[in-house]
Amino acid sequence: MQKSIPMMMILPSLALAIGIIGYPILDLAFTATQEVSRFGQLRGFVGWDNFAEVFGDPLFWESLWRTGIWTFAVVVGTLGISMPVAMILNDDFYGRGLARVIIMLPWAISLTMTAVVWRWALNGRSGLLNATLMQAGLIDQPIEWLATAGTAFTVEILVGILVSIPFTTTILLGGLSAMPQDAYEAAVVDGASGWHQFRYITLPLMRPFINIAIVLNVIYVFNSLPIIWVMTEGGPANGTDILVTYLYKLAFRFGQLGKAAAISLIMFGVLLIFTMLYVALVSRNDTDAAPDQEDEADDHV
Amino acid sequence: MTYSLRTSTAAIALGLGVFGLAPAALAQTVVDFTVAEYSSKTGPYFQEVATAFEAANPDIKINIEVVPWDTLLQRLTTDVAGGSAPDISIIGTRWLLDFASQGIAEPIDGYLTPEFKGTFIDTFMSPGIIDGKIMGLPVAASARAMMVNMDLYEQAGATPPTTWDELYEASKKIAALPDTFAFGLQGKEIETDAYFYYNLWTHGGDILNADGTSGLNSEAAITAAKLYKQMIDEGLTQPSPTNYNREDIFNLFKQGKVGTIFTFPMLIPQIKEEAPDLKYQILPFPEAGAKATYGVTDTLMMFADSDAKEAAWKFIEFAYKDEFREKFDLGEGFLPVTKNVAALEHFTTDPDVAGFAAGLPYAKFAPVIANWEEIADVTVRTMQQIYLGEVTPEDGLAAAAAEINKIRGL
Repeated sequence: MQKSIPMMMILPSLALAIGIIGYPILDLAFTATQEVSRFGQLRGFVGWDNFAEVFGDPLFWESLWRTGIWTFAVVVGTLGISMPVAMILNDDFYGRGLARVIIMLPWAISLTMTAVVWRWALNGRSGLLNATLMQAGLIDQPIEWLATAGTAFTVEILVGILVSIPFTTTILLGGLSAMPQDAYEAAVVDGASGWHQFRYITLPLMRPFINIAIVLNVIYVFNSLPIIWVMTEGGPANGTDILVTYLYKLAFRFGQLGKAAAISLIMFGVLLIFTMLYVALVSRNDTDAAPDQEDEADDHV
Repeated sequence: MTYSLRTSTAAIALGLGVFGLAPAALAQTVVDFTVAEYSSKTGPYFQEVATAFEAANPDIKINIEVVPWDTLLQRLTTDVAGGSAPDISIIGTRWLLDFASQGIAEPIDGYLTPEFKGTFIDTFMSPGIIDGKIMGLPVAASARAMMVNMDLYEQAGATPPTTWDELYEASKKIAALPDTFAFGLQGKEIETDAYFYYNLWTHGGDILNADGTSGLNSEAAITAAKLYKQMIDEGLTQPSPTNYNREDIFNLFKQGKVGTIFTFPMLIPQIKEEAPDLKYQILPFPEAGAKATYGVTDTLMMFADSDAKEAAWKFIEFAYKDEFREKFDLGEGFLPVTKNVAALEHFTTDPDVAGFAAGLPYAKFAPVIANWEEIADVTVRTMQQIYLGEVTPEDGLAAAAAEINKIRGL
């Protein structure tokens, strides 16, 4: 009875979550096995046909590969920048409040607006970036950033990193402010350098926060449409298409809703597997680490 | 406590009030009308027509919803899939076959009286006829033409071209001017394919061959693509066309930086407002064996599962009155689709309108085929690859033709 009370208390929100998340997925799975008309009307069961079509489509494989690069680059880049930023913001300095606000500001602007602004800034002839670079004498001819897939995708990844920083910094900052200060004081007394403090105190203690930042960022970035869609619509020549932009085109431009449903189901599957693998990996490391600590405790006794 | 009691009483009263009003509202037939947003004037214009109509027909209410072009097809797709389609909608005529073949569009032959039908210009009526049935009425029309910057042509000592050879020679002279591009070539986003069709058609090619297969691997198509590529390589276009969408090209023209562009009538009001000093001229597309322009129409379509067809049709007839059509065509910069408006002084004497309308006798329309958007996308992708130098025109176009034939099931 005692045990069932917490269960009963989370039941309503659990039911709500299942209703909101579960129903669309079931509907999607059902749609993916149907022949779907141009306007979304179901025309009967076709089994795996939609999936076979997806797997036979070279653009799908290219987009999948590019989604991998996109997700990896943005998440790694974001963490690489957010960690030092969070550590700086955690230190006490004059104007820290203002600095924190500035770092968080991009978060307050919608992704679409950020992407639109960057699209203007990157315009070859009238864009701010080329104008700045040319005035600074770094380039003498304007660069058409979005004209070729290589530069366009690189720039999109950088914008992706930029917009992911506030969220990630917030998570890491939360972790850092919960960090026990006496550990650092003890380390300083023992003569640990700044790098050693970071490597042997900050990083291990921050691991749960970094893990959650990785999982959430991977999910957000993997599914993120606005930046690429606004800046290049997956072009030129599908050279910046990731799965979600390709899916959007299939569904709402070409009206291939069955195939699009199959791709979204595949995307869901990929994310589910990633998250489960990652969580399993993380918790296995934790259980590996746990007995060691017990051993140490025993030694002391 | 008192406060919340009072609010809930108010809510109940409000609820009762709504129910009390309901019978009166039910007596009205509601017609849902989805309107594509051509400009900021579109919404207020249709609202004005609807208000005038409701005043004359108090038993019918017109419910107007303005949707931007970019999301219109997606919006209608979701509406149809969700069973909440409007009664009538403006759509791109290129989508009409998809709507008709899925049984979503209602044939209007039964509603269209001979005298109403007689008010339309036949050229614009024909794209809406599918399998001998009229599936919609033309609501807006435009044709494309070449626009040249006369100042730049004068400075460079060039004369506005009538053939592609002349355009090429003139472009060489203009490109030599400082900070100036000779030819604006669109390479990104909506209608990138159309910019190629202009070239293809005037070289005597076509989007589809007579047997329905793709015409992209024809001699004419290869010649046309090579010409664009050559102009890019020789610096006769703005650099990196794949970074320029339609509006970017038009903006360059408004800034007086580009000598020649291919464009639509809707640019005229923009130039008059934003660059009133620009000296431009509207001319037919350059030729290389054939005359052509791209005729584009939008269609007013009725939905087959509408439960207010009679009322909707009554509104349609009302909205096509000359006074409304004149205001619409003038406001948006379209070519008239009805004979009476086309005969008005503005449309016969204005050199800009005349320049665009001149091509109508030989205008080509986008083929009325299924999966048109997907086929257009293949063409866009291929042109981008050719402009970027990723494939040769021969290889790229051959692959594109094969892919289009596959999409068409041929």
